[in-house]
Amino acid sequence: MQYLIQLLISGLAIGAIYGLIAMGFAVIYKSTGLVNFAQGEMTMITAYIAWTISTTVSGNVFVVAVGAILAAVLLGLVIERLVMRPMLGEPVFATVMVTIGLAVILRSAINFIWDAYPHGLDVGMGRGIVHLGGIGVRTGQIAVIATLLFLLAAIWAFFRYSKVGVAMRAVAADDRTALLMGISATRVHALAWAASSVIAGIGGVFFALSYDLSPAMFQLGLKAFPATILGGLDAVLGSGLGGLLIGITENLAGGYLGSGMKEVAGFAMIIVVLMVRPFGIFGERDIERV
Amino acid sequence: MRTGDYKQTYGELVALIDSPPVWLWSAVLLLALIAAPFVLNSYALSFVIIILITVTGALGLNILTGYTGLISLGHVGFLVTGAYAYAVLVSKYHMPPLVGFLGAGVVPALASLMVGAPSLRLKGLYLAITTLAFSFIINTVILELRWLTNGARGIQVQRPEIFGISFDSDAAFTYLCLAIAALTLLATLNIRRSRVGRAFVAIRDNDTAARVMGINLHAYKLFAFVTSAFITGIAGALYGIYLSFVSVEGFPFLLSIEALAILIVGGLGSALGAVLGTILIVLLPEATRIVFSLFSAQMDATFTTGAQELKSMLYGLVIILFLRFQPRGLVGAWHDIRRAWVHWPLRY
Repeated sequence: MQYLIQLLISGLAIGAIYGLIAMGFAVIYKSTGLVNFAQGEMTMITAYIAWTISTTVSGNVFVVAVGAILAAVLLGLVIERLVMRPMLGEPVFATVMVTIGLAVILRSAINFIWDAYPHGLDVGMGRGIVHLGGIGVRTGQIAVIATLLFLLAAIWAFFRYSKVGVAMRAVAADDRTALLMGISATRVHALAWAASSVIAGIGGVFFALSYDLSPAMFQLGLKAFPATILGGLDAVLGSGLGGLLIGITENLAGGYLGSGMKEVAGFAMIIVVLMVRPFGIFGERDIERV
Repeated sequence: MRTGDYKQTYGELVALIDSPPVWLWSAVLLLALIAAPFVLNSYALSFVIIILITVTGALGLNILTGYTGLISLGHVGFLVTGAYAYAVLVSKYHMPPLVGFLGAGVVPALASLMVGAPSLRLKGLYLAITTLAFSFIINTVILELRWLTNGARGIQVQRPEIFGISFDSDAAFTYLCLAIAALTLLATLNIRRSRVGRAFVAIRDNDTAARVMGINLHAYKLFAFVTSAFITGIAGALYGIYLSFVSVEGFPFLLSIEALAILIVGGLGSALGAVLGTILIVLLPEATRIVFSLFSAQMDATFTTGAQELKSMLYGLVIILFLRFQPRGLVGAWHDIRRAWVHWPLRY
């Protein structure tokens, strides 16, 4: 029982990180209609920038947090402006392949800008252990779950009540009509890339806090993928919850079936989900006009 | 000199070789490749071998992604299954190499049925994601089936001996690769101009319309998967033999990206494109290294230390630049040049 609860809690914690990155996928898919295969790499870069800030400028939590968020915004905007906007109006296959090319470039860039060795991100907190009813939980794990829940609520409110959020939903639903209504689609796309970069970047920084930074971190993107598919590619909140489900499944599979199963549990789940409900649990079914 | 198309029958339109100059150049290319082992040193010859193996694999992916329009991000999964099928049959169970090659085609083809069947309901991005998941699952399956595959330790593979001819030397192995690559090229060209190929292209252009015209989507999509996996598996076996060691690490995910890069750079849906793209992508890192070393010895040193990273960076850049500036690939550029040459000084 103790073992099960331990697995569930660490599953929730890693699932929250997957959830954050999966929300990053969903924000971009929802407003631009493409899957950003460079999400994991963008997450990794944000985490590395946070680490650089913590080692060179100051290890203070707030400095690192603000610096990382600003860097993530900048990263999202630069990528959108330089790489994605020229591809506007091209077929989906071409645009998605561009994100794959971008992913490969960013992944190698890590090795040139930083190095290939693992580093620990230390901001003086997050590694302490709290005992909850006899079960040790890291404060970082509690913080990431809380952050995910807070962001889920904030994003729900943003899409529901704010003018910009409504504009983003309008562009997602029908970009041409949205354009006729006076919404700038390019500005919405830029905003989506920045937001996605920040949300996923937060996940990356939390991952670096609880585990280690290494150039293999881009695999977080691949791990978060099943979460987005499960929740629905166009469902931002659903993706966040999907992350929690994937994290728990993965940990249970790893704990009871062996470590090999842990690696593929998410991918096996993708295939099942795509067979049964390709648009995800919370996603909207596509209706195709001929 | 040709000034335009004067084709009057359907047979002339689908002919593989439609004019004497094309005959001539194809023959020259073939002779050059046959002469290559005698002329080139072993370093240059290794590039010829890699190009020939990669062409085979790229042609395999071209059937699926280029002709039928089904994007696969997991083609490395078929490569690795093919390589393992060959290694297990030949090195472990001491079967003749021909049986090994057959297995290297059939096993991935069966695996492709497993990933293809559920994918029939999916389109575009979702299919790409399923194939991506497949390639990760297949790696874990190989690592877990230790009694069959030696797990992470991998399997040693010897160069084969077929019909008493030993393919041990690099020159002989080049001929084996050349024969297989040429056969594959002929096979894909013939598939393209047959009823099956036209059905593939119809599915790619608009699957709903294709279905309305009476094309059995399920059968043809599965057929594309099986053919593509068969060819890719054989390329995988050749690559395994070339490396003389088959392991999961020998087939990194980057190979899937490399294969897609080849198709994009060459021009999607064209066998000639797959060949041109392979040549460019395989030689690109080497060419860059030479250019770098011209500048300074220090840059050359960076290249040797970060070779793998620079290589993947180049692939990424090439993919993005081609998609942005020349979406029809090298084949498109070649067509433009040819048209300009024939019609000059007129525009068309």
